[in-house]
Amino acid sequence: MDFDAAYLAQQWPALMGGLWVTCQVTLLSIVLSLLIGLFGAAFRLFSVPILSQLTFGYVELVRNTPILVQLFFIFYGLPAIGLGISQFWSGVLCLSLWAGAYQVENIRGGLLTIEKGLKEAAFSLSLSLRQYFRLVALPLAIRTSLPSMLNTSISLLKNSSYLQAIGLAEMTFIAVDRIATDFRAVEMFTAIGALYLALVIVLSLMTSIVEHKLRKPFRV
Amino acid sequence: MDIILDNWPLIQKGLGMTLGLAVVTLLFSTLVSLILGVMATLHSRMLRWSIHGYVEFFRAIPLIVNVFFVYFVLPTLGLDLSPFAAVVFGLTLWGSANGIEIVRAGIEAVPAHQWRSAWALGMRQWEVYWHIVAPQAIRLIVPPFTGLLTLLVQATSLGALVGVTEFLKVGQIIIERSAVMNGVSPAFLVYGFVLAVYFIICSALSWLSRYLERRLGRKSNRKPSLVPSGMREAV
Repeated sequence: MDFDAAYLAQQWPALMGGLWVTCQVTLLSIVLSLLIGLFGAAFRLFSVPILSQLTFGYVELVRNTPILVQLFFIFYGLPAIGLGISQFWSGVLCLSLWAGAYQVENIRGGLLTIEKGLKEAAFSLSLSLRQYFRLVALPLAIRTSLPSMLNTSISLLKNSSYLQAIGLAEMTFIAVDRIATDFRAVEMFTAIGALYLALVIVLSLMTSIVEHKLRKPFRV
Repeated sequence: MDIILDNWPLIQKGLGMTLGLAVVTLLFSTLVSLILGVMATLHSRMLRWSIHGYVEFFRAIPLIVNVFFVYFVLPTLGLDLSPFAAVVFGLTLWGSANGIEIVRAGIEAVPAHQWRSAWALGMRQWEVYWHIVAPQAIRLIVPPFTGLLTLLVQATSLGALVGVTEFLKVGQIIIERSAVMNGVSPAFLVYGFVLAVYFIICSALSWLSRYLERRLGRKSNRKPSLVPSGMREAV
């Protein structure tokens, strides 16, 4: 078994195409999952009737079922009742819903660490509940939950490889597709292993930049 | 619901296969985790670093790539695996990577003075592990390991992609068969059913994990969470 670098060079453009799809799906889903997490956490924390219970049920459902079944349910199940969406958007929907459930818990965990005194202080300065949430609680909570939010985002990136099962041409799909025709498994797996690793590192770097920015008001 | 009842024998077989995959994977993962996890607490720097490398590597690569790697690459190296064995092997690499962290953290959570007292009494290294450390560490290790089992049950659904007739694959088969016979796809109902069954099994296991954590944690006053970051959401 020898490593064929020329083959890898020849397949490189296709892999880059897959990488681009992976990046698109991942970034879109990270943004959407954070939005879900934000609203879900707020519903749970302020015990909004109905919405709070719905969020709880949603989180439990996502956490206790395989993502692959969730994906199949969205991509094959929904069209059966007339709600067909494309592979790309099925993927984005599945990943966002999946990661959103964890982001709810991450953000809620961050919000729970905030001292009660801050709320009283904010109210005595005649801030409204909404202003308190937006200006005081949220910026602090995000700082605390940033590491776990990063973890979930990294898992999301890795789980984007599941989308190959519905035929979305992302990185893993391209690799497996080429292996089926050319049988050069070692080269392909080395390449996508390295690319996933690189993506994880880029994501971590992006988070540390955000972290650095958020610390600004606290720096002396 | 007729479609579920009509295919009951097939569904039973698929569930059996899923549980079989989960049990075998957990057995191997536990074995590897215990051996390497204990080795990671020994005083050899090289050993610690190589185990750390193993853990980080298999947690950084997507689970699906782990399984596909085993399934596609090992045959080219002359090792032909059945789909069942490939899934077990691929999941064990990932499961043990998380298990090693749990075991290592559990052992390291035992206070250092316990070690020193045992040495002062003239105990040998393995005696300390067996009589002093293990009884304390097991209380911490069991709950997260139950959590790992939940994730492994979920991860066995990957078998559907390499051709193991487990629960999800059975769902696919039923849908295809029925779509050919009746002309309408029952995908919504069948995948909904598959989701519901996984939900029941995995909720029970998560509940068990939380229960064990409360129950076993009560006796010790320190209760560090041993769940490796990123594990609780891996699949």
